Amino acid sequence: MAAKLKKYLKLFLFIQKNNLKTAFISKSDALTNIFIMVINNLSFVFMWWILFQHKGSINGWGFGDMAILFAVGNNAFGFFAVFARGVQQIPEYIDNGNLDNFLVYPQNSLFLISTSESSFASWGDFITGFLLFFISGYVSWLNFGIMLFCSFLGAILMYSIRLLVSSMAFFISDSQRLGDNIFISFITFSCQPASIFTGWYKIIFLTILPAGLLSLCPVNLIKNFYWYEFVYFILAIAFFFTISIIAYKSGLKRYSSGNRFGVR
Amino acid sequence: MSNIIEVNQLTKKFKIQKNASSLRGLFKPEYKNVTAVDKISFNIKKGERVAFIGPNGAGKSTTLKMLSSILYPTSGTAIVNNLVPWENRHQLAYHIGTVFGQRSQLWYNLPIQDSFALIGKIYNSENISFKRRLSKLVNLFEIRDLLSHPTRSLSLGQRMRCEIVASLLHKPQLLFLDEPTIGLDVTAKEIIRNLIKKQALEEETTLLLTSHDTDDMEKVCERVIIINKGKIIFNDSITSLRDSYLNKKYIEVTTDSGEKFRKEINTKKTSAKKAIDELVQKYHVTDLTIENPPMEEIIKEIYSRD
Repeated sequence: MAAKLKKYLKLFLFIQKNNLKTAFISKSDALTNIFIMVINNLSFVFMWWILFQHKGSINGWGFGDMAILFAVGNNAFGFFAVFARGVQQIPEYIDNGNLDNFLVYPQNSLFLISTSESSFASWGDFITGFLLFFISGYVSWLNFGIMLFCSFLGAILMYSIRLLVSSMAFFISDSQRLGDNIFISFITFSCQPASIFTGWYKIIFLTILPAGLLSLCPVNLIKNFYWYEFVYFILAIAFFFTISIIAYKSGLKRYSSGNRFGVR
Repeated sequence: MSNIIEVNQLTKKFKIQKNASSLRGLFKPEYKNVTAVDKISFNIKKGERVAFIGPNGAGKSTTLKMLSSILYPTSGTAIVNNLVPWENRHQLAYHIGTVFGQRSQLWYNLPIQDSFALIGKIYNSENISFKRRLSKLVNLFEIRDLLSHPTRSLSLGQRMRCEIVASLLHKPQLLFLDEPTIGLDVTAKEIIRNLIKKQALEEETTLLLTSHDTDDMEKVCERVIIINKGKIIFNDSITSLRDSYLNKKYIEVTTDSGEKFRKEINTKKTSAKKAIDELVQKYHVTDLTIENPPMEEIIKEIYSRD
C-alpha cells in the first residue's frame, strides 16, 4: 500500500511538473492570469468589507469571519483547480471519446483524468487565501493549521461535488452545462455567511446541499473548536467523496465511447 | 502457436433514446437497443497481423474497445493474453498498446519527448530501459528531429508516427490500431503502413488493425476479418480474399481537356498494363489512378456469393 502511494505521489509530481511547463509556454500570460485572479477575488471581498463597514455584523458574523470563510474557500478552490481540475473535463472527454486514452493505461483512470488539467491562474486563489487569513484577525499557528487542513478538506468536497455532477454525463448526454451550473451554485452558496442559514436551512446546507460544510464548519472550528464538529466535518466530506467515486465507477460501466474528432 | 485473443459470442448493445430531441423525451424517455456487435467469435494467434475491416458503423471500433478494456460487453466472452479485458484493465494495459487514429494520447502543447517521458512514468518504466527503448523506436520510426517539437506543430503523418511510438514504449505484445491512416495523404499512409509492419515483424508484435481502407490490410496484414452490421462475414487469409474479391481494379484517367474516363478491369483476365496501354493510346492522358473497389462493394459481393 505504502509503495503504491509512493508510486502515485511520484507520478503526481511528474504530471504537475508537466502542467507547469505547459502553463509557462507563455510566462507573461500565466503571470497576468494570476494577477487578475487575485484582483478579481479581492474585489469580491471588498464588497463584503463595505457591507460590514455599514452593517457591523450579520447574525454575529463580522468581517474577520468572512475573511476566514474566503481564505478557506479560495485555498480549497486553489487546491482543486491547480491539482485536480481535469475532473470537470469528464463530460467533454465522454462526449469526444478522449476518455478512452485514460482507460488503457495501467493506472487509476480517475487519478489520470483529475490531474490531466491544471488552472495556473488558480495559484492566485492561494495568494488571496493566505492574504485574507492574515487580515482576518484570527492569526495564530494553530488557526493557520486549522485553516490549511479545512482548505484541504474543502478541496476534497469541491472535487467530490464536481465528480458527482461530471459523472452525470455517463447517464445524461450533453450534461456539461447542467453540471457547471450545479457546481457554480454550490460555490456561490459556499461564499455566503453561514450565520444567515438557521433551522431547516442550516440542516439542509450541512447535509443534502453541503455548501454549509465549507462556509460554516471552518469558521466555527477557528472561533470555537469542538471535536464533534471537527469529526462531523471529516465524516461528511468522506461520505460525499465515497458516493462521488461510486457514481464515477458505476458510470464507467455504462460508458459508450464517443467519436468526435480531436486531440487532448 | 497459441492464441493471444479468443473471442466467443461477443455482443455489444447500446441503449439509444429515441425521443431525446423532443420535450416529451424529457418526461417520458423512450429507448431502443442498437446492436453494434452481434455474437462474434474469432481467435488470433501470437504474432499474427490481422485486419479488422468493415464500412462505417460496422462494429470494428466497438470490438476493439471491448478487447482493449475500454467498453464492457453486453454478453459473450473475450480472453486477451489470458486476461478478461474489462475485469483486468490495469494488468492488461502492460501487455497491449492502442493507437486511435482519430484522437491523440500526446499532450497538445508539450514537446513530444515530454509526452513520451510522462507515458513512460505511467507505465512505471525504469529510466535506463525506458531510454534504451525510446532510442530504438525513435530510430525505427525516424522521429529524432521531431522530439523537441510540441504536438500542435506536427503534421498528421508526423503525429501518427509519434502516436505509434507512444503506444509501443512499454513493449506491448499486442497492438490495437484503430484507423491509423485516417486522414493521411497517400505518401504518409505508405510510410505508416511500412513502419507498422516493420516493427511488428522485428518484435513479433501481434497486430489487430481496423480500417475501411483495403490497402491498409493488403500491405500490413496476413489475415482479414470482415465485419458488417455487427456480424463477421469473412475470416480468412488476405490471399484468399484477394483471389476471391480483390481482383477487380478501377483505372481512371484524366485527359488534357480535363475529361475523366473510368475503366473496370478484372486482373485475373486483363493485366493492368494492358488496360493502361489501351487507355493511353485512346486518349491524351495527363493523369492516371488505379483504385481498389470500395469496401462496400466487396461486402456486397461477399453477400451475393453467399
